[in-house]
Amino acid sequence: MHLAVQLTLASLSQQVLVGLAETTTLFIVSSGLSLVLGVLRIPNISHGALYMLGAFLAYSITRMLGGTAAGFFASLLLAPLAVAFISLVVERFLLSRLYERDHLMLLLFTFALALVFNDVVNIVWGAGYRSMQLPSMFQGSFSFSGLFLPRYSLFLLCVGPLVAIGLWFLINRTKIGKISRAAAVHREMVGAVGINVSWVFAAVFMIGCFLAGLGGSLVAPTQSITQGMDASIIIEAFLIVIMGGLGNVWGALLGSLIFGLTDSLGVLIWPQFSIVFPYAAVIVVLLLRPAGLLRSTW
Amino acid sequence: MRKLWALIVCLGIFFCMPFTACFASAAKPIRIGIVDTYSGPASYYSDDVRDAFLMIVDKINSSGGILGHKVQVLTRDDKFRVDLGLSEAKELIMREHVNILMGTINSAVSLAVSDLCKKEKVPFLVTFGKSAKITGADGNHYVFSVDENTAMIGKAAAIALAKKPYTRYWIAGDDYEYGHDLADSLWKNLKKRNPKAVLLGQSWWKLGEPDFTPYISAILAAKPDCLIVATGGPDCVSFLKATKASGLNHKLAVYMHTAAVSIKPLGMDGPQGVLSTDTYYTYFPETAANKKFVAEFEKRYHHEPNAGALAGYLAAVFIQKAYKKAGAINTEKFIDALQGTSVASPVGKVTMRAFDHEVVLPMFVGVTKKEPGFKYLVASDIVTIPGKQIMPSIAGIKAARAKH
Repeated sequence: MHLAVQLTLASLSQQVLVGLAETTTLFIVSSGLSLVLGVLRIPNISHGALYMLGAFLAYSITRMLGGTAAGFFASLLLAPLAVAFISLVVERFLLSRLYERDHLMLLLFTFALALVFNDVVNIVWGAGYRSMQLPSMFQGSFSFSGLFLPRYSLFLLCVGPLVAIGLWFLINRTKIGKISRAAAVHREMVGAVGINVSWVFAAVFMIGCFLAGLGGSLVAPTQSITQGMDASIIIEAFLIVIMGGLGNVWGALLGSLIFGLTDSLGVLIWPQFSIVFPYAAVIVVLLLRPAGLLRSTW
Repeated sequence: MRKLWALIVCLGIFFCMPFTACFASAAKPIRIGIVDTYSGPASYYSDDVRDAFLMIVDKINSSGGILGHKVQVLTRDDKFRVDLGLSEAKELIMREHVNILMGTINSAVSLAVSDLCKKEKVPFLVTFGKSAKITGADGNHYVFSVDENTAMIGKAAAIALAKKPYTRYWIAGDDYEYGHDLADSLWKNLKKRNPKAVLLGQSWWKLGEPDFTPYISAILAAKPDCLIVATGGPDCVSFLKATKASGLNHKLAVYMHTAAVSIKPLGMDGPQGVLSTDTYYTYFPETAANKKFVAEFEKRYHHEPNAGALAGYLAAVFIQKAYKKAGAINTEKFIDALQGTSVASPVGKVTMRAFDHEVVLPMFVGVTKKEPGFKYLVASDIVTIPGKQIMPSIAGIKAARAKH
């Protein structure tokens, strides 16, 4: 094997940092998917479409607020909230009537939702590309002692742990988190002790979809926002969730780390075939631990 | 009694049928089928192909059609899929009896439909598929191309890059036909013109790669002078965005086909100094023909035309000219007439090369720059490379076809 780049400590650590930044969005999206999968038992195929919707909304909100840095930060909050609201409407009026059906029905339903959201995007924003800029404070990159790190990657490196801590707090320290963990294990029992499971489900679904929207609005300034940007993320998110253990949010974190780091290190070590690395990692993990790295809630 | 009447009416219709068919054939329209991608990101270009084509067809029809025949256009969405595109092409040929087929932004669909058209003996005008195989190794009597191909892009880029002092190169691109074809053609031509050029390495990402940052940091670690980016469609926009966000364009030279056009959605925030080759700009050449075309397109569709519109325009005027030259609505006469014919266009006089049915199209080389009066970055210091200089060699095509 011919190494195009000399592996130095600097280039390796640079690649690890960039990979960790990539992990952030992967983790945010896949943790939302995992949450919904764990508590509601719904393989939400439309999760990717909600991510796309988040990106488009972030674009529109930032533009409406004049394209300033403040507008960008506002969109990071408002776009996921809008996505969460849409998901609440969907859950209350459609999904809540289907919980008793088997997985296949739910799978088909969320697949249909993904198609509907794609068409909504087509009607509202059209088929062309949309693009929004990073606020000027995030443009360019830091260079120190031969290392290169885009400023926005540094910002993502801060956001990732914040979201992880927020999720940990929500799941372990709040009442809704405790109820949803209980509901994931034994739904009927939670209902039997007098808790309105239906609203717990709605809340969890909203939080999951909020995370999809957040992921979308975080990548909006670094990608071209187009129809179809949901296709690759949904596959990656499912792979990560399966690798980490179905429904386990920390498994999603672990899976994202493996996926993101093998991707970025693969690019450095063997760039011609870098595409293979994260998928090969998935295969290796599943061969060694077919049920996923951490305990599945299924 | 009622039954009798019904019978009479039925018989009447039955016997009148041949007559109506006769009347209809007197002004039988020329039917043109377009199979292309009208959903998803690729429709950005395909929509303009169709819209410009319809614009010219409407003009043709309002002035009496071609040889007295009106032109009728049928469109089908292949959703960027080979199987779907192929079955739609079949349907257009068998059921709709189209005289001519057009389309496909996806080279794989272009190649599949081209093969079908060869069997069914229907002329096929490729509007946006860019694989050099279409009119090269896999070319046939029935397939024509009205846009540039990867062999032409590679030659044009090599001409532009050979003038620069760069020697250490890195190639990065989409891991599919277009990316690899373009990179191969470019590198072969560049090595011929600048033997000192060294390829440090290559990176290939999947189509629609969401995050280029790991690739960019790995490329920077190799310290090349120039990065050749072989991507198409929305990935061009994403990569330009990542270029700007990471400040890549300040660290090394970047070349990308269609960079100066793909940069448009980025507004004033695109990266400056990116070397680009393009077939069409709305602002160059500053001829009356181009200005008129842009004005008419904008008036009708309320947005500026892109490179797809040039392909749509060329297809329409080539069809019109060839039928007029042929003097009849006849496939073989049409093909004979189209070979070697020339038409006027927004980018000047354009000829259909007789040997391989590839259009001789000029290529523009420019560098992205902020210019007063534009809401987006444009190509500056534009140099025109005449089509003749970048056409693939006939001997090369003959050799490639002989291998088959």
